[in-house]
Amino acid sequence: MTHTRRHRLAFGLAAGALGLASTAALAQEKEIVIGAQCDRTGPTQIVGTVICPAYHHYMALVNKRGGVEGYKIRVVEIDHEYKVPPAIEAHERFKKEGAIMTSAFGTPQLLALLKKFEEDKMPVTSPGIGSSAAADGKKFPWVFPIAATYWSQAGGAVQFAKDRLGGNLKGKKIAYMFFDNPAGREPIPVIEDLAKSEGFQLRTFGVPSPGIEMAAQVLDVTSRFKPDFVIAHLFGRAPAVAIKELKGKGFPLSRVVGLVWAGAEADIIAAGGFGAAEGYNTIQYAGVGDNYKVIKEIKDLLKSEGKSLGKEFESTVTFNRGVYQGAVHVAAIANAIKAKNGGKPNGEDLRKGFESVAALDPTLDGLAPPLKLSAEDHEGGGWVQVWSVKGGKFVKTTDWFQGFRAAVQKHVAEENKK
Amino acid sequence: MLEELDFLFSLTVSGLSIGMMYSLIALGFVLVYKATDAINFAQGEFVMLAGFITATSLAAGAPLWLAILIVIAIMIGFSFALERVVLRPLLGRPVVAVIMATIGLAAILRGLPPITIGAQTQTIPLPISDEPVQILTTSLPAVQVLGLVVSALCLAAFTWFFMKSRMGVAMRAVADNQQVAMAMGINVERYFAIAWAMAGIVAALGGIIWGSMLGVDTQLALVGLKVFPVVILGGLDSIIGAVVGGLIIGVVESVAAGYLDPLVGGGTKDFAPYVIMIIALMFKPYGLFGKRKIERI
Amino acid sequence: MFYREAGNFKTTYADDMALFPLPITRWSAVVLLVLAVAVIPLVLHEYYLSIFNLIFIATVGALGLNILVGYTGQISIGHAAFMSVGAYTAANLAVKLGLPFWITLPAGGLMAAFIGAIVGIPSLRIKGTYLAIATLASQLIIEWIINHTPAISGGAAAAIEVARPTIFGYELKSQRDLYFFTLFFAVLAIVATLNLVRSRIGRAFVAIRDQDIAAEIIGINIFRYKLIAFAISSFYAGVCGVLYTYYFGIATYEAFQIVVSIDYLAMVIIGGLGSVLGSVLGAIFVTALPVVIRLVVEAFGGYIWDPAMLSAVSASMRLVIFGALIIFFLVVEPEGLARLWRNLRNYFRVWPFSY
Repeated sequence: MTHTRRHRLAFGLAAGALGLASTAALAQEKEIVIGAQCDRTGPTQIVGTVICPAYHHYMALVNKRGGVEGYKIRVVEIDHEYKVPPAIEAHERFKKEGAIMTSAFGTPQLLALLKKFEEDKMPVTSPGIGSSAAADGKKFPWVFPIAATYWSQAGGAVQFAKDRLGGNLKGKKIAYMFFDNPAGREPIPVIEDLAKSEGFQLRTFGVPSPGIEMAAQVLDVTSRFKPDFVIAHLFGRAPAVAIKELKGKGFPLSRVVGLVWAGAEADIIAAGGFGAAEGYNTIQYAGVGDNYKVIKEIKDLLKSEGKSLGKEFESTVTFNRGVYQGAVHVAAIANAIKAKNGGKPNGEDLRKGFESVAALDPTLDGLAPPLKLSAEDHEGGGWVQVWSVKGGKFVKTTDWFQGFRAAVQKHVAEENKK
Repeated sequence: MLEELDFLFSLTVSGLSIGMMYSLIALGFVLVYKATDAINFAQGEFVMLAGFITATSLAAGAPLWLAILIVIAIMIGFSFALERVVLRPLLGRPVVAVIMATIGLAAILRGLPPITIGAQTQTIPLPISDEPVQILTTSLPAVQVLGLVVSALCLAAFTWFFMKSRMGVAMRAVADNQQVAMAMGINVERYFAIAWAMAGIVAALGGIIWGSMLGVDTQLALVGLKVFPVVILGGLDSIIGAVVGGLIIGVVESVAAGYLDPLVGGGTKDFAPYVIMIIALMFKPYGLFGKRKIERI
Repeated sequence: MFYREAGNFKTTYADDMALFPLPITRWSAVVLLVLAVAVIPLVLHEYYLSIFNLIFIATVGALGLNILVGYTGQISIGHAAFMSVGAYTAANLAVKLGLPFWITLPAGGLMAAFIGAIVGIPSLRIKGTYLAIATLASQLIIEWIINHTPAISGGAAAAIEVARPTIFGYELKSQRDLYFFTLFFAVLAIVATLNLVRSRIGRAFVAIRDQDIAAEIIGINIFRYKLIAFAISSFYAGVCGVLYTYYFGIATYEAFQIVVSIDYLAMVIIGGLGSVLGSVLGAIFVTALPVVIRLVVEAFGGYIWDPAMLSAVSASMRLVIFGALIIFFLVVEPEGLARLWRNLRNYFRVWPFSY
């Protein structure tokens, strides 16, 4: 047993005996603590097992580079298994550890903690989850979606359909297949609105949980409604089943677009592989693939430490979202520290830090959208990209764009007036 | 009109085929209940485990026939061990104890893959064509046709087993009345183990078929949820019931999605089977083919 | 508790049924209460209080489920659905009519009791496994109805925000404030259950559990008492759901899905079927176990796994250990933690002269 090992054992025993086991005892003055809620177990684990390690990898890279403005980042992660009570416990633990912000995962957990974040003055980020109305920073000062919300994604999807169908949706038919839960239903009002203003015919098709079988719905879509375009907002295993069924019924996948949780490598693999899903389009809020400087740096860092690359690197869609999330957090923290002239920021400072995020870590390059957060807009513009399955991999089909921004913003304003 | 009929026909065919695949999962459940009166809430996790084993051995370079042998062997061994370690001590305990034990087992099985072989999605490529199979005016994915065939074979084999083979008859005797069976010199515990092993085999086949259809990760365990309406409708202890229940549920789901969903805005598909199930419970509490239990003090 | 009794002669039925059979039981209850009211909230950090809060809320739900499963012998895998009934009833009353918690809380409970009694109807014809699956179906059906009825769920998001509870104008918002709130209802639920199971109704429940046909023969109206059991159990569940709603500040059915039903079933089985103490111990065990496992893995896991892997390991290990413990208790100590506690107490009661 080496000296350090014995040291760690002694510490471990002491901490365990006290029932504390936190590294709080080691907390340095120049340290920023972030609480990360995770779902490595439970129904959404296929996302959590990738996005959480990716987040940690990026923070390790940042620390290796020397931290943020001289501060090291420490991430305290708690897995809540997509259940609500453990998320409450996690939040209190984060507070105890001195966390000044939370990285949330899971809509029910976020909702159950909304009041707490406000009372504890702790900013929270919710990329790809939660309520789209939270994009309004005046109404939800502590919640930062920091990426295209479901409404913006829906706007992007309709815009993409419009471009694909020759720039005019008049008289066209669009089918919206959604997971039959609140998250799945969320985009409907925006799409309904667009159907009116753009003049297309819309029909919605609910897919109940767990969505492992949807031959009947797809039959309804393809042989009764016969749409020109399909927008799929599905979760879990459902996207893969939808791809398979649509293809089996002869519907061209090039006229199908999936929102953000229907477009990871796992979905394509489960649908029968990249060959089978040729043409399928996905809306993304972070870049796809590993051809980014930051990803190379993360890999190099791991190699230099003699570690092998984990399985999480295989799913670049989800991995990059974790990195993107980390980069936004780091940018906000940097802003907050600078605003305090190097002093340690609290939650309130960090909120202002988030509201002035305009540029991210340059090594992210094309991975991140041209995000710009402000006191009013916590979503940062609602930028999306479309990536399509082509020749055995994801290929970038469009650059960053904002789909029907005005219509989306109108809904945000209306929802928050209620 | 003709188009409407066509649509109904397509819905029915796809419902029947998916129902047959539900039957395959339900069969494992019924086999265990029939012989041992134990409710297996981990049936979905069994299927997931089998899927993981198959996918991992295929990824390690094993040919398909070997992978199938491996998964069947491991699942038999696993079920034997399970019966021995967990379920035998629970013999004669209230139903809720066995239910809870299998729920605990399900948690273990879901927790294991991430710390052993990784949680990422794997595939089971089967050497069948990607092209759908044409049936009159409609078509089915080839893998579903294979699933249909495998389910039918399994059901036929187990029906024969229980009706004709010596072992099967002994097992029916055990299921009927344990004490009398014991008195007649039947080794009851051995037959319990065999029942679990058979459930293991069925789960292995289910894992291969459903795994190749859905991809293999912890989500595969969700197929287990589909079992309950099927077995309640058919009767918990009837193999024929599992088939008929599966077919009815498959068609009900399909037709509900095709005709009810447009009316109420979606989502009736997973709801309708449970409503049917409640109605069935009200009028035929022991299912269409289940054995009525007579209680005596 | 930690005392020895001697000369414990009960001469009347009233003695035998007393809530506190000995003066010392009363004293230990008082000590525990003082500890809970005056010491714990003042000494402990808010973080630990948040765990206590979750335990107290879970205790209410677990007691309710134990009345049904442990005392009456009816299996339910739909307990969480009744929580959501209570939660949405209270949330709608609080938001639409502006009612305070001391009205919405019992109202949520009553609504859940009503729905629970309806769900209990199949229990008259079926039992055991079939009943278990029927309650599973009610869970899914109730979830579906809430999810698809905007009038109940408050719109597409199916979530209703609720203001924090206030007492005489004081808003209960910190974990410490809410600690007293949840503690009050947990104690109320414990005392109510202790009284219920000693009553005529409670004894009828036990008779139905032990042998329902015999119970009917000795004149217990099974139909009535089974429905009463479902209603009372659901009332507790509804109150539990309302407590969650006020604790979270929001009612959302996604917090009451089937995994929650299973967690509560685990509580009563691990804690001990047919035992009030068991319900409390089960609530403590299931709520605190993940926390403890995480702390242990964080502290010692570094020797087995790569530290970077720890969070992944602790998450999955928690599932494995949780499942293994459930099986362990079922196989080794079927009467659960309550029984272990009794064994331990009996051991010390005669210690050191164990023969």
